[in-house]
Amino acid sequence: MTPLEILVAAINGTPAPRIPIFCNLLDQGPKLLGMPAKEYFSQGEYVAEAQLKLLERYGHDNVWSLHYVGKEAELLGCNDILFADDGVPNVADFVIKQLDDIAKFDVPADITQHPAWQAVTDCMSILRREVGHTHPICAYVTASTTLPSMLMGMDKWMELFLLGPFDLRDELLRKCSDFVQQHIAALRAAGANVLVYSTPFGSPQFVSKKMIESLVLPWMKRDLQAGKTFDLVYYCGMSPFNEVIDLVFDELNINTFYISPLADLREAKRLIDTRGLTCGVIDDIKMIHWTSEQTRAEVKRIIDIGKPGGHFLFGTGVVSLAVPEANIRAMLDAAHLYGSFR
Amino acid sequence: MMQTNYIEAYNEAVFETDKQAALAVVNQALNDGFTPEDIVFKLVIPAVEVMMVRIEQDTDSNLAQHFMTAQIAADVTEKMLEKFSAPPEIVGRVVIGAAYGDLHSLGKRIVMGCLKSLMIEVIDLGINIRAEQFVDAAVEHEAQVIAISAMMVHTATGENGSLKVRELLHERGLEHKIKLVVGGAPYRFDPELYAKVGADAWAPDGVTAAKVIAELIREVKA
Repeated sequence: MTPLEILVAAINGTPAPRIPIFCNLLDQGPKLLGMPAKEYFSQGEYVAEAQLKLLERYGHDNVWSLHYVGKEAELLGCNDILFADDGVPNVADFVIKQLDDIAKFDVPADITQHPAWQAVTDCMSILRREVGHTHPICAYVTASTTLPSMLMGMDKWMELFLLGPFDLRDELLRKCSDFVQQHIAALRAAGANVLVYSTPFGSPQFVSKKMIESLVLPWMKRDLQAGKTFDLVYYCGMSPFNEVIDLVFDELNINTFYISPLADLREAKRLIDTRGLTCGVIDDIKMIHWTSEQTRAEVKRIIDIGKPGGHFLFGTGVVSLAVPEANIRAMLDAAHLYGSFR
Repeated sequence: MMQTNYIEAYNEAVFETDKQAALAVVNQALNDGFTPEDIVFKLVIPAVEVMMVRIEQDTDSNLAQHFMTAQIAADVTEKMLEKFSAPPEIVGRVVIGAAYGDLHSLGKRIVMGCLKSLMIEVIDLGINIRAEQFVDAAVEHEAQVIAISAMMVHTATGENGSLKVRELLHERGLEHKIKLVVGGAPYRFDPELYAKVGADAWAPDGVTAAKVIAELIREVKA
């Protein structure tokens, strides 16, 4: 079976030789191609080339069309990204510097015509051509309730979110939600078949469950109003969200959950059961200093919890450059060994 | 109303992230004859200390509650300080900033809000701060603590962050009088990471960080 077929089998609970194994290798691209991060991210071809080389090197199941999260801010007018050769790029220019800017802030009528989209579409078209029929192609969508943190900074957004003025907050959320709808449609049209819907405000670690129900959920529903949800993954930026799994099933109809390493995986698997796909995620920050044996033991622990009954995927967060290559290999070897159904 | 009742009512409002209700408790206390000094030292500081314990023990507390704890405490303290009959005694000083290459500021803001309400002077260097700036500012302002926020793995573990600050403190013979504390998402995923980057302490959230910093200041001044 191809990795794509193995993923579909895990979602549907049908027979497969093993569980799907996702390994998110985004920071490794520039070093692999021997170029500075800024140059690497300037061309979709480079990102696609690195993703394909990493796939060949490690033999995991998925590739990413994601350049960096700040790409969404660029599509919304951000002019400055702080690139780092040893890590994730940062948004360095906030589009909304003061509250008055919210009224002037506009979402492009067609984001696919924006110059910043070209690298995304170039990357996606290569990935689709090379592995589109065999491997999941992942893309990243930031939810409307989180997107403003990239437009005005998280502290100012948290202040506006909690303390108002609420008419301005809702105006910004509406515009961001319009963008999310466009973004999802554009990624699907370009060829992404796994959309990681990143919604940290949908985690009770960010705001109370009561606030999620009354304030965050309606905006998530609006973001996803186009209807189909089979390709969406509920992800809260590595924050735990077990408390809202039932709510997400009932209200958003999302069936795939990327569980934080800080959450109780056993409880998450029990809650999701055969209704959807539980993604057990290794703590790849601890992997920086673990030995290969510690890494293998943790992979076994996660898979021992998740594999019984199927409907399970093993995955990583964003594996940082600081994680030794030996640990990446140990993790993937162990995932193939313990994740086998044979 | 008894002092403990004010503290409970105030903290309940903060925990519900209801700023108006928290300010109503403060106004009620003022109307009942509490002085601005009383409001800070008998209501806000004890309330923040109670909240620190609550947040430390309640792993289900959330970021919004941490933010509101700091925001409301800082706002009330600032307003009350204007009405103090004499400037309050400063407990200590901390130099704070986001690590080099890191542009995130929320965690830092929560820590700062709590520290200010605890009468700890905060020198905010901002974001994307070089190691030398942290150490130079701590020496210049005679701070007891350097606090570094890092929200990304490479800014937490990289050679230009906390590791470099530790190296400079060691080189300049300052380790006995300036303590180093770190915070941010990567440390939550590996609670032993703080030691690997040369820090003396860490905290899992902004409110607890203020408590840790206050303890380090006491340690240095002892």
